[in-house]
Amino acid sequence: MVKHFHEIRDAVHAFARLDSDERKVVDSVPFQRLRHIHQLGLSHLVYPGATHRRFEHSLGVMELAGRAFDVITADENRDHRVAWVFPQRDLLSPWRRAVRMAALCHDIGHLPFSHAAETKLLPKDVNHEKLGVDIIKSDAMKQTWAGITFAPQPNDIAKLAVGPRKLKDETFSAWERILAETIVGDSFGVDRMDYLLRDSLHAGVVYGRIDQYRHIDTLRVLPESDQDGAEPRVGIEAGGLQSAEGLLLARYFMYSQVYFHPVRRIYDIHLCDFLTAWLGENQFPTDLDRFLELTDNEVLVEIAKAVRDESHPGHEPAHRIARRGHFRLLYERNPTDAAKNPDAGEAVHNAACQRFGGEFFRHDRYREQGSAADFPVKMRDGRIVSSVAESDVLRNLPLVNVDYVFVAPERRVEAEGWLADNRDDIIGRVEEDES
Amino acid sequence: MKKLQRASLLLSLIEAMKRQGSWCGETSIQKAVYFFQEMVGIPTGFEFLLYKYGPYSFDLTDELTALRADAILTLEVRDPRYGPSFAPGELAALVKERFAKTINRYRDHVEWVAGRLGNRNVAELERLSTALYVRLHNAGASTENRAAQLLRLKPHVRPDDAEKAIIEVDQMAEDAEALQAQ
Repeated sequence: MVKHFHEIRDAVHAFARLDSDERKVVDSVPFQRLRHIHQLGLSHLVYPGATHRRFEHSLGVMELAGRAFDVITADENRDHRVAWVFPQRDLLSPWRRAVRMAALCHDIGHLPFSHAAETKLLPKDVNHEKLGVDIIKSDAMKQTWAGITFAPQPNDIAKLAVGPRKLKDETFSAWERILAETIVGDSFGVDRMDYLLRDSLHAGVVYGRIDQYRHIDTLRVLPESDQDGAEPRVGIEAGGLQSAEGLLLARYFMYSQVYFHPVRRIYDIHLCDFLTAWLGENQFPTDLDRFLELTDNEVLVEIAKAVRDESHPGHEPAHRIARRGHFRLLYERNPTDAAKNPDAGEAVHNAACQRFGGEFFRHDRYREQGSAADFPVKMRDGRIVSSVAESDVLRNLPLVNVDYVFVAPERRVEAEGWLADNRDDIIGRVEEDES
Repeated sequence: MKKLQRASLLLSLIEAMKRQGSWCGETSIQKAVYFFQEMVGIPTGFEFLLYKYGPYSFDLTDELTALRADAILTLEVRDPRYGPSFAPGELAALVKERFAKTINRYRDHVEWVAGRLGNRNVAELERLSTALYVRLHNAGASTENRAAQLLRLKPHVRPDDAEKAIIEVDQMAEDAEALQAQ
């Protein structure tokens, strides 16, 4: 007898369950490529266990997306004030299919080593989300979609997989916005839930452990506030507030401890330098045949070649990656300096480049984005309140703020001495530019 | 425009909006910056698309959070029903002091926007900002056409409110030209 439902063993969810149509997508060339894209770039050079790939993450996101969809659409969980946003009951099943397909495909456009070099390598106005949309709508996938019973339109899958933020030319209905938020949303996207759980498991840090079952069970579609005309969005029931706090705290700690670990970040920068030297700035191939051929495997082979060949344009960064000759941390943000100059790292980097030469220094700046901590909460008496008002934890949740300056190891001692002597003068300089 | 220079203008706008009675939640700031950029012509460089309550910039949401991370802005909770308000943070004074020339240069533009939008509620801001969006994307179209377009984008708006919003935005655009000519 032909089997129509399948299970794949998964380190986080025990099983990722899928039907035969979903398996056709999993078996497609673009999806199988994700087996060769590390989820966390070169993080395994810092956390040796972090060798997991986008492939299993995408399966996990599909698993969670199906569960989240079932919870938010269940009759008993619908809020009458936003009942208009739900589609007719006979359309729920096709939407569920679209959501799971979109979750499966949400990372299908990732470059080798995930985010490490995306901005510098891709042409302007191209990002992994746009590439993902192109792949979903491509000839390479056309045959896959054609073989699926009641297949959603590729454009619907693309919209839900990417969301309005990255798909600016598309118009989203309120329902499509809700579904995209369920997958890739700032606050509770299942993408985020899976990567926190999976990355923490593989990196060997406990911070990313969240109460996913409780959290998903309390997800609701709610009006954003109690005001007339408030738009619908994904929020939670009051009983889920603690699990939501846990998720957002886990995110903060994972950012601080794993994603923005300074050595992990400098490896990303060296990788970006290598790829730029090898392929050229903004020259990463975006024609899909060539794009699909490039995975981490091809890059690792080229790094190994470049290490042996001094004439290779990427020899120097390749050597730093493969021989652990990475730049060291010279400066990092602290409250005292930030009180004098919010962009202290930039000031240190500019002054250091002027003094010693730009090739010896790298600057890495990231400030938290989005508005993850602010979402509607449905209280037991039916009122809608802001999460930030209701939760002391969310009101005081720290925001990620990274400002690193790295120095080449051969200039480290000299640069540290120079910075100690000139620190106040450098950091105090903020010039108004009226241009 | 430099990052901190732009931050100094956002701070000025938030303070001016508060003086006019604005709640200064994210929606109020989004719509005020939209007018500041698209009607008054200040190059703050945010990209707007139609999303929550009309024109909306994800870049601006990111920037507001980033400014909180830098303690240039902070969140205040005044009434749990309406979400938090933005207010100047611990380092706001430093930024304003360092970028005093920029703040002075654009003072009239900031006051102009705050004076017209500071006392509006979310529903009014949604109508007016969508009317501006329609105006910018339908140059030369008649009032009736643009009101119809606004209604297609925002079906919950009453037809007479849509037309009023179109007319008001046209008047504001004339005033803004005079301001820019000064």
